[in-house]
Amino acid sequence: MKKFIALVMALAMALSMGIPAMAAEGAELSVMVETPVMSLDPQIATDGTSFEVIADYTDGLTQMDAEGGAIPAIAESWDISDDGTVYTFHLRDDAVWSNGDPVTAADFVFGWQRAVDPANASEYSYMLSDIGQVVNAAEIIAGEKDVSELGAKAIDDKTLEVTLNVPVSYFLSLMYFPTYYPVNQAFYESVGDTFGTSPETVLSNGAFIMDTYEPAATAFHLTKNPDYYDADKIQLAGLSYQVIQDSQQALMSFQTGALDTVLVGGEQVEQVKDDPQFLTVGAGYLWYVSPNIKDVPELANLNIRMALTYAINRADIAESVLMDGSIPTYTAVPLQFATGPDGSDFSADQTMFADYCADDAAKAAEYWAKGLEELGIDSLELDMIVDADDEPQKVAPVLKEQWETTLPGLTVNLTIEPKKQRVEDMQNGDFELGLTRWGPDYADPMTYLGMWITDNANNYGFWSSADYDAIIADCTTGELCTDPEGRWAALYDAEELVMADAVIFPLYTKANAEMISSAVTGIEHHPCALNRVFKNVVKG
Amino acid sequence: MKKYTLKRLLTSLFTLLAILLVLFILMQLMPGSPFNDEKLNDDQRAVLYAKYGLDQPVLVQFFRYVGNMLKGDYGVSYNISKNTPISQLIQTRLPISIGIGGAAVALGALMGLILGLIAALKHGTFWDTIATIISVIGVSVPSYVFALGLSYTLGFRMQWFPMLYNAQLATQSSVLPSIALSMFTMASIARFTRTEMLEVLDSDYMLLAESKGISGPALIFRHALRNALIPIITVLAPLIVDLMTGSLVVEKIFAIPGVGSLLVNAIQSNDYNVVISLSFIYSAMYIAIMLVVDILYGVIDPRIRLAKEGD
Amino acid sequence: MAKTKTPAMAAVPYVPVAEDFVLKNASGELALDANFASQSFWKDVIIRFFRKKSAVIGMVLIIIITLMAIVGPGMNAYTYSGQTLTQKNLAPRVAALEKFGIFDGSETMRTTTGSKTVNNYIEKGLEDVYYWFGSDNFGRDIWTRTWSGTRVSLIIAAAATLIDMIIGMSYGLISGYFGGKVDMLMQRFLEIMNGIPRLVIVTLLLLVLEPGMLTIIFALMLTEWVGMSRIARAEMLKLKEQEFVLASRTLGAGKFFIIFKEILPNIIGPIITQVMFSIPTAIFTEAFLSFVGLGIPVPRCSLGSLISEGYNSFTTHPFQIIPPVVVMALLMFSFNLVADGLREALDPKMKEM
Repeated sequence: MKKFIALVMALAMALSMGIPAMAAEGAELSVMVETPVMSLDPQIATDGTSFEVIADYTDGLTQMDAEGGAIPAIAESWDISDDGTVYTFHLRDDAVWSNGDPVTAADFVFGWQRAVDPANASEYSYMLSDIGQVVNAAEIIAGEKDVSELGAKAIDDKTLEVTLNVPVSYFLSLMYFPTYYPVNQAFYESVGDTFGTSPETVLSNGAFIMDTYEPAATAFHLTKNPDYYDADKIQLAGLSYQVIQDSQQALMSFQTGALDTVLVGGEQVEQVKDDPQFLTVGAGYLWYVSPNIKDVPELANLNIRMALTYAINRADIAESVLMDGSIPTYTAVPLQFATGPDGSDFSADQTMFADYCADDAAKAAEYWAKGLEELGIDSLELDMIVDADDEPQKVAPVLKEQWETTLPGLTVNLTIEPKKQRVEDMQNGDFELGLTRWGPDYADPMTYLGMWITDNANNYGFWSSADYDAIIADCTTGELCTDPEGRWAALYDAEELVMADAVIFPLYTKANAEMISSAVTGIEHHPCALNRVFKNVVKG
Repeated sequence: MKKYTLKRLLTSLFTLLAILLVLFILMQLMPGSPFNDEKLNDDQRAVLYAKYGLDQPVLVQFFRYVGNMLKGDYGVSYNISKNTPISQLIQTRLPISIGIGGAAVALGALMGLILGLIAALKHGTFWDTIATIISVIGVSVPSYVFALGLSYTLGFRMQWFPMLYNAQLATQSSVLPSIALSMFTMASIARFTRTEMLEVLDSDYMLLAESKGISGPALIFRHALRNALIPIITVLAPLIVDLMTGSLVVEKIFAIPGVGSLLVNAIQSNDYNVVISLSFIYSAMYIAIMLVVDILYGVIDPRIRLAKEGD
Repeated sequence: MAKTKTPAMAAVPYVPVAEDFVLKNASGELALDANFASQSFWKDVIIRFFRKKSAVIGMVLIIIITLMAIVGPGMNAYTYSGQTLTQKNLAPRVAALEKFGIFDGSETMRTTTGSKTVNNYIEKGLEDVYYWFGSDNFGRDIWTRTWSGTRVSLIIAAAATLIDMIIGMSYGLISGYFGGKVDMLMQRFLEIMNGIPRLVIVTLLLLVLEPGMLTIIFALMLTEWVGMSRIARAEMLKLKEQEFVLASRTLGAGKFFIIFKEILPNIIGPIITQVMFSIPTAIFTEAFLSFVGLGIPVPRCSLGSLISEGYNSFTTHPFQIIPPVVVMALLMFSFNLVADGLREALDPKMKEM
């Protein structure tokens, strides 16, 4: 036995010494992601990881600067017509695909047409129609017009003309959203269905080139693109991605130096909170509870809804349960993603709706008593549907506890469901309370406020207000389109309607707790579109 | 023997078909549609349904599905990796899982045999107690707890082995997951070996062998262990299958790109097509292992063969 | 020899009297042979079982753990779901032991910037608060949760195994007794059931059905009965040609009377042994399901879900994972010991394990 142990030990030692010290080839950045890439097809992808990776090797017409503004990328300049509905983009001459083809206006037209082609059923097609207001996009998606009628035309190889239905103030910042990325038609047709499933079937026109990848890979790698038009500015030699789902393993790997940046789970924050390498980054997501106002008579009572929203202690949830830097939120639009005409955060003032939403157990009890009296009942049992994911399962029991202790006679039952089932149930109105989240698609409050118009599929409470619908219509397609200040003020009015009626109970704006090695600088974080940009990273 | 083998083969085939049916029914019952995303509209959903043939009558879907599955065409993933053929997803992952699983079985069986032998030969001594305690711990603690302990001690504190799977260092990075996975096999084999060996050592033919003057290692290995091995092989088969369960969580912890972590992902992201396909592959593997073991067992032990042929 | 007979007594021949031909202790009814046999058999089993130290230890542990699962959650004022967010992640503290410097509520935090020993009870001014096993990251009492988790795990395991036993036993007995075509069909069906990996079935079922305790029991039940029915069938094949069955049959007993009244009591031993082996498997499977996120829904807990909750805090607050892991290991261990002991006690020919 002793001999055997000795043998095993010797073997182990031999193996461990055989591990070559991972040669630090100049500057390779090792990055952790939580989930594998779901798709490398820019018009099919929907999730943060996929977007981030696609943007590593693809440039759109514009790119994100550190603050999230749009700066030139493939388009070196653009003209906007006086009425704000025609954009003419001038593409740079030195932008090439990794197969040597130049990047042309036709590549963008092809990519955009793929996005609205009903046959592709692109989840983000509405980025072109409802959000981007590109001419005919909505009709093409509905199958009423042919893709060739899309309001995006290649005037010549290097000039792209885009026509919009109405002026869209944030249109340039949509251009860095991956759904608007170009696709090389000849290449796409040559690889067919295998597009985006291996390094050979993706084409790069960006800072990096994918060199190892397979679908749903747990590790993959990109190297610097020597033919990138901005290649001299890229300091990293490559990016290596590692998918880790266990936050403990991730932190330990970071500590051994195997990874340069990792996400830290709430449980580990205590271990690292004094570390200078620790930081929290806003992720834009708003988590909220949606009551079913239409079908549940008790929830149709405003006092009951008010009681429920006042009874939530958001500060406790964010600071004691999540601990990842998430911010308690008392507005329907979350913090830190939309900046107004004056350059300030739309939701910077969290006390704006303190008359409708706050952490206030006393007020909650008051509303509760009033609500019960109006309904003529003395106890109430409500079901809340919750995703079977980690975070909602952490938050839901706390909500249940807070509600049940603050509001006498209330029982909240949690029903745990797979996310898709939860979404289906909520869209069908088959629920009482639902814990859900929404991430911003673009840097404008409309990405949230657009949800609560009558009959929107994500207006889970089936709330309806003619005043509200009118304001929103005015801000998207009406006269306020061209009046940024007026629009901004109108959006606050709309938000107030939502809050005053307690259409949703906002909880918190999600943030991510991260560790970034002190040797690394220049990772840019954004709450929408591209969560991380590595173009300006310096390591060493 | 031929008749028996043929019969077993036929049953296996039937089992496989039955499983296909069960899986199909379960898939129909799965909650939520695979395309229930917040941002898809009804028209788009209809397009996706048509694209994947989910708008066809159930019977048509069933026959198409059985045909495709048997051909090895498992369809495409809806969520994990959109539109990627599942066979492509599995191709690179299966060898990795089988490699780590195989190493775990080999390690577990070897260590289990050694522990069991020590316990039996030193029956009633301190060594017996130690071996028993080790094997009890092995069956009493879930493999993910072992995995965490190992990666914390050997991976993080000692840094002997990589904590995460690395394709370039496949051997070294398979060490920790293999050990974590092998614990249950080891413990079960150790317990079983001990019982079997005690019984064999006490038998008349061992007395005979001893009285003939055979002693030492020859006695133990040629006579005792050989007889004890046959029943041990039978318990090994279900243990191999149990490994699949363990591999699901261990692969997730060590970020191993294997089928286990794929299945966990598919479960968590409701990619039902992948769940069903992987279930089918697991079932097929399971049936294959059972088939091979049964036939092998017949070859090894003629008594069983005869008994089963008469059955 | 107690008495020596006198020669005089020997000389007089004994004349039998009527009392000599009356059965001793006959109080009107005749005790059946079988009754004697089975009584002494069970007595033997019990004696053999209790003679084995490991089996007794296992038994005692199971009884203690079960008792704790019943009374443990009520031993302090906390409830399994009650949260006190200001008192989260407190280390174990027991009033009687803290004088000795153990369980005094202090813990060593190993952070990336160095390690430090803190006592959060004192730092947060909670001198009067005691969490015997510590508190989790919602400020819930781990003692209460551990025992109510044990309760849930035991209920799941016991219920699933019991139903398994009933289904498997009936299936095996019927299949074995009738033999022929019935047996053939039933065995083919069983082979198919056995061909489906339990993991696959359990996972898929949990996706299809609403998560909850009943679903888990149902899923576990569906897979475990096969082994049970095999044993029942094998025993039935052994017993059905025996004389007492024949006797019963000639006396006109019905088929199901024979199966369930005559044979069943005779195979209860191996079945109970199998039950003892099945319970730990069920507990283990439940733990695995919890880890994959298909376990008991929050805020309820089982040993498995407690382990996976503690798992996430392993490097920060290792004390949180220890109680559920230890209780689970002890349970697994004791059930195995008891099962081994029972198996030997029932089958004395088998060598000591």
